[in-house]
Amino acid sequence: MPSASERPSAIVEEILDIVARESMTDRSSLTPDTMLVDLDIQSADYVMILMAIEERFGTYISVDEELTEAKTVRDLCDLVVGRIEASSVGDAV
Amino acid sequence: MKPVYVTGVGAVSACGIGAEALWAAARDGISAVRPIVFPDIARQQVHAAAALAEADLEEVWKAGDPRTQDRVSALALAAAREAVAQAGLTPGDLGHRCCVIVGSGFGGAQTIDRNSRTFWQQPATRLDPFSVPKIMPNAPASWISMEFGANGPAFCVSSACSSASQAIGFGLQMLRAGTADVAIVGGVEALLVPSGFRAWEILRVMSPTLCRPFSQGRDGMVLGDGAGILVLETEDRARARGTTPLARLAGFATNSDARDLLRPDAAMAACCMREAIADAGLSEADIGYVNAHGTGTVANDANEGEALRSVFGDECRKLAISSTKPVHGHTLGAAGAIEAIVALGALRDGIAPPTLNFAAADPKIGIEPLHGTARRFSGAACLSNSFAFGGINACLVFSRGD
Repeated sequence: MPSASERPSAIVEEILDIVARESMTDRSSLTPDTMLVDLDIQSADYVMILMAIEERFGTYISVDEELTEAKTVRDLCDLVVGRIEASSVGDAV
Repeated sequence: MKPVYVTGVGAVSACGIGAEALWAAARDGISAVRPIVFPDIARQQVHAAAALAEADLEEVWKAGDPRTQDRVSALALAAAREAVAQAGLTPGDLGHRCCVIVGSGFGGAQTIDRNSRTFWQQPATRLDPFSVPKIMPNAPASWISMEFGANGPAFCVSSACSSASQAIGFGLQMLRAGTADVAIVGGVEALLVPSGFRAWEILRVMSPTLCRPFSQGRDGMVLGDGAGILVLETEDRARARGTTPLARLAGFATNSDARDLLRPDAAMAACCMREAIADAGLSEADIGYVNAHGTGTVANDANEGEALRSVFGDECRKLAISSTKPVHGHTLGAAGAIEAIVALGALRDGIAPPTLNFAAADPKIGIEPLHGTARRFSGAACLSNSFAFGGINACLVFSRGD
């Protein structure tokens, strides 16, 4: 099964837009394999990215172990898509 | 160095009114974290906090004055009354030789919250005329000094989560220096108000699940309200009164990472612990219990684990280390005092309290805290850690009074 970021999806595109905007990174430089460390994403950028995700998708993500282990844009996207999907399942229940 | 003793303690927390209620909950691993609802937060994401029980808050207000005091001052006064009574002091005993140092991270948060809402939503409505004296962070120290006639230096230390540990430590230094003979010290926080809670939510450090310090799968902390106050006295003064001290406040150190506002530094945290133990005239082997800062955030616990391994080496496996924050919550500017009182209970009874919600050891932390249930320990001293945003570290060492 492809990872979330490999699925052509509007959500993934939106997340990439958010990452680029909130971390003030050139959108065209973002690929799934881009290392977050190379984007120079700092803790303050994460706070902004996660705030924007909450505003757009209503999903609260704290700075947890999984997030701090994300190395690439793909890792970050997979985590965020997974949490959005999980929270919408929760909402349905 | 002049010995300084703790002769009284007082606490108000989600565990109840009184230092014994706090210690009993920590020792028995009974969490006071409960559901919390803020109807004014449009989309509340975190739904638990260690708020005071309604009945306890009502009890606190019976001796308070809501016209002139924010909740933060009412909580501090309630804790101070207990501590001063336990010490057996009366206003006539204090005067110019008594200082008051009370830490707080946010001061009168409820007044700020209510005022801002009125100001923006109902501009024509009168604001609270007592806003300024309710909000100012030194209000709790000033109210305590007024109630007990303490004419020595009175001030607030505001250094986020290290506020109370610094306040207690600076009290120790003032007594050693001869500036005062008695110090009423500690910390208070009353930030469980809609805008304050939301501000912590959006920093992404609050757990949406459970606060599980030092555990694999940890995802944040849980906030709490509370106040902790200690009465410190010089040896001469305590002896002259014939008081039996609860313990000795033996050592204190504080330093600054001078690196990053939010990301902690293990080397400076370790340095702070070592200096506090050395200030107490003790060695690492004398420490029997560590009340860790242990917030349950990814960053603090990995950092503190590394610092503890650096200070205690292989002894970390045998040493009783726990975080009691899942019981009383992270009380921010009060944390150092609330946890000092837990450490004093541990020292008195020789019992180390457990860390709740621990699931599994995290290899990246490298230490396994005491979890499950309390256990006996035999060491002669306890260490209490506070590590704050802003890179401010503060550590206290308590030893037996005899």
